[in-house]
Amino acid sequence: MTSPKISLNLFLKGLVVTGVALLFLCGASRPCDAYDLIGKVKKFTLENGLKVLIVERHAGPTVALYISHPTGAIDDGDGHTGTAHFLEHMRFKGTETIGTRNPDEEKQILRRIHETGSTLDREEMKGDGADRQRIEELRKRLETLQVEAVKLSIPAEIDRLYTENGGGDLNAFTGQDITTYHVSLPANRIELWARIESDRLANPVFREFYSERNVVLEERKQRVASDPGGKLMEQFLSTAFIAHSYRRPVLGWASDMRFLDFNYTSEFFKIHYAPNNTIITIVGDVSPEGVMEVIRRYFGPLPRRVVPLRRVTEEPAQTGERRVEVNFDAAPRLIIGYHKPTLPSFDDCVFDVIDTILSGGRTSRFFKVLVEKKGIAADVTTANGYPGARYPNLFVIFAEPISPHTSEELEEALYEELDRLKREPVEMKELTKAKNQLKADLLRNLSTNSGLAGMLSYYEIVVGDWRYITTFLDLLEKVTSEDVMSAAGKYLTRQNRTVATLVKDK
Amino acid sequence: MKRHTIYAAFLLLLLSSCAWQGSVLIDPDDIIYTPFRFEPPKTQRVELENGIIVYVLEDHELPLVNISAVVRMGSFYDPPGKEGVAELTGTVMRTGGTRSMTGDQIDEDLDSIAGITAVSVETQSCTLSLSVLEEDLDRGLEIFSDILINPAFAEEKITLAKALETEALRRIRDNPQKTAFREFRRLIYRGDPRGRISSIESVERVKRGDLVTFHRQFFRPSNVMIAVSGDIQRENMVEKIRARLGGWNAPGVPGGFPPPPVHAKASLDYLFKDTPQSIVLVGHLAPGKENLDYYAFEVLDFIIGSGGFRSRVFGEVRNRLGLAYSAGSFYSSQTHYGIFGAYAMANASSTLDALSAMTKILNEVKSKGVEPEELAWAKQSIINNFIFSFATPDRIAVGQMMLEHDGLPDNFLTTYKNNIEKVGLDDLREVASRYLSEESRVVLVLGDRERFDRPLSSFGDFHVTEDGAGADQ
Repeated sequence: MTSPKISLNLFLKGLVVTGVALLFLCGASRPCDAYDLIGKVKKFTLENGLKVLIVERHAGPTVALYISHPTGAIDDGDGHTGTAHFLEHMRFKGTETIGTRNPDEEKQILRRIHETGSTLDREEMKGDGADRQRIEELRKRLETLQVEAVKLSIPAEIDRLYTENGGGDLNAFTGQDITTYHVSLPANRIELWARIESDRLANPVFREFYSERNVVLEERKQRVASDPGGKLMEQFLSTAFIAHSYRRPVLGWASDMRFLDFNYTSEFFKIHYAPNNTIITIVGDVSPEGVMEVIRRYFGPLPRRVVPLRRVTEEPAQTGERRVEVNFDAAPRLIIGYHKPTLPSFDDCVFDVIDTILSGGRTSRFFKVLVEKKGIAADVTTANGYPGARYPNLFVIFAEPISPHTSEELEEALYEELDRLKREPVEMKELTKAKNQLKADLLRNLSTNSGLAGMLSYYEIVVGDWRYITTFLDLLEKVTSEDVMSAAGKYLTRQNRTVATLVKDK
Repeated sequence: MKRHTIYAAFLLLLLSSCAWQGSVLIDPDDIIYTPFRFEPPKTQRVELENGIIVYVLEDHELPLVNISAVVRMGSFYDPPGKEGVAELTGTVMRTGGTRSMTGDQIDEDLDSIAGITAVSVETQSCTLSLSVLEEDLDRGLEIFSDILINPAFAEEKITLAKALETEALRRIRDNPQKTAFREFRRLIYRGDPRGRISSIESVERVKRGDLVTFHRQFFRPSNVMIAVSGDIQRENMVEKIRARLGGWNAPGVPGGFPPPPVHAKASLDYLFKDTPQSIVLVGHLAPGKENLDYYAFEVLDFIIGSGGFRSRVFGEVRNRLGLAYSAGSFYSSQTHYGIFGAYAMANASSTLDALSAMTKILNEVKSKGVEPEELAWAKQSIINNFIFSFATPDRIAVGQMMLEHDGLPDNFLTTYKNNIEKVGLDDLREVASRYLSEESRVVLVLGDRERFDRPLSSFGDFHVTEDGAGADQ
């Protein structure tokens, strides 16, 4: 994360909640020819394997530019948690030609910084057996070198270039299995973007490596240590998954983050940011031919690299309810999750419907029953597809009891509602309402350049083909109340659930 | 000039097959862009006979229609002791039904057509919005109009809204950022209605009659403006609105919003929260949008902390010192006044370091001004980004309506770039010394002082404050 404005959790949630896309937006009754998305998306593949999706639209004189890679925390490896996210921070530190006053001299200093830094890390990792005096010496040396390096660098050049050229929404997101960099620019500034982005794929320089480690540790304090929701989420995921990498937090565990490693991060970059592991999505006031000329010129020379097959441990079937408690000085809340398949499976689509029936709008079951009628909840939301989407994931319920009601009461009431889903078929009216809402959400997502770009790159990465959007609409049409009942019966079981509760410190 | 462009194009051709190989990589600052002219689509303004002003903009790309109504009311007018009335009025207008429909019927109707209606209440404005598929426009507009004119404020929905608001207040202190910004607001607006914020006790005192009175007082045709954009026919849309709202008759215009008083003295407040990360806020009252100082202050704020990585607070507190992940500044401006604040969410053991760094930055822009390169960078950034004000038809229509709502001239947007362009180094120093005086500085530190790097008293005499959310249980 690079900007203080947007939270990682919100984004992940956004992916799940808004990631459900639609395009032939049809109202309930009318055939829909409103927006022929298929005809407008142009797809290109360069010789080096880089894929490009372009949509030309002329709503305003701007363009949204997304670059996504099918990587993230899932590729961190134990002992190196937080690497993917930290790399994202490093990628804003410039390149060999952006952000330096003297490339050759700077290179020498940076090399010495990394040698000193990794020696220092190795000593500190010894813990109680470490040589205190040596640590002090190394720290001082590192500090001196860093002061030297700062003199040779120009900080925040990438940000300066984008900002000065009118860039907005400059940000990046690291998820479990997708990492995205995006910016919106005045439509005539595409070449600036190509110049910067191709350069930081080819020649990045990881400046301020060691001071930035402190920044991500502060980020962790902000998002996890001081945030009851963040803290509970972390414990929830590491309980729900015992084998699959989804158990590891995107930000990383603090003890790993203290020792984020330069060589490991560089290697991670080389493997996962290869052009053949990259998808560019461009939506806005541009011509595909003009854009492709610029893209070929700048990104064409990037060499294809071997991306090794990822070995992922499959999460074994859950054998019974799991529970975890977090003590925190905050009002009670709970998270409940159920394992389920991911898209493009039909059951994932059924869970989008269940998600909407349970918590989409004021007439949803959770709001009606738990907030309005029983008055025991302050807030209940659900999300389909935590914490990633490329592997089997979770259907998640987030709930906050209203005082003086307790989490226990609320939990019981939630299960009653889930049981109703298993017991009684959903009426046609309610099912249609949920489908209409999903379709309309999708349509609203299309209304901004960045909404459309985000959606296309998401499906292209997660399913391997952005046209899943149409497949999804077909699947959605097919969902029946029997499907809802059977998916609820199959997955929303006690044996398959994980419950995390926040309990106030006494 | 022309020759220069041709030369550059030629150079690009030469480079075309090897953009980033070898040493010929073009300097990003030397890239030449094809200039473009952009005329934002024209929004049509219509005034209905009863005084409602309507802005309409057609856009047929998607079968969607967005409607926003802005009303000049807000928490500014909360009766003392009953803070929360404005907010609850907005909430229960949406949920509490109308003369012809219950709240539940409205919810059911809206959800079944996948329409979204929301009400948001700010200090000086209330916005009621509707997003609906084109084919459901008539039904959506009917509900929207009814909510606006004939809310029923059903008692059980008031009870529910109060319960949820109370719980939200109870939970505010779980969120250090919300707690700090709420408290900051109380401090910066002390002695002014804007500084009175709802608490569990004040919400408890609100009764149905308060909401009915509040609605009657402020929801009047001459106090309402509407913006519509999307898949509509302009004339036809105006007629639809006239049919629904043209007969609404409630003359009179409620009072305005006098600006907050200027503080006589500086303050330093400490709010305890057991957390590993402190929140530091340093604030000042700032110029309003109609003020000529507005443009210079926009540029100043950009340089101090809202201009991203290159801005001073971010660069110093996060990048150079590594004390925080979130740090920067904000400037929010209304007609006749604004507020400015610099903030950092810093490691508790660096709290005073962060605070000193921030106040030093503010003092330095006053005493030394800024560098010419910083000024050029900030101006160019603001000017180039300005085009995003026109990124979507909805933004254009609502933007145009808000200008009139805020009492700004309708050429505000067309002259904006020019006014930013004119800002000079002296202007910045002048507005800095006018608005960033140490004698009127409001400082809030939220955190656990046991964990600070130095005693807070080393920075000055401080006042221990309590969060204003109210008593628990």
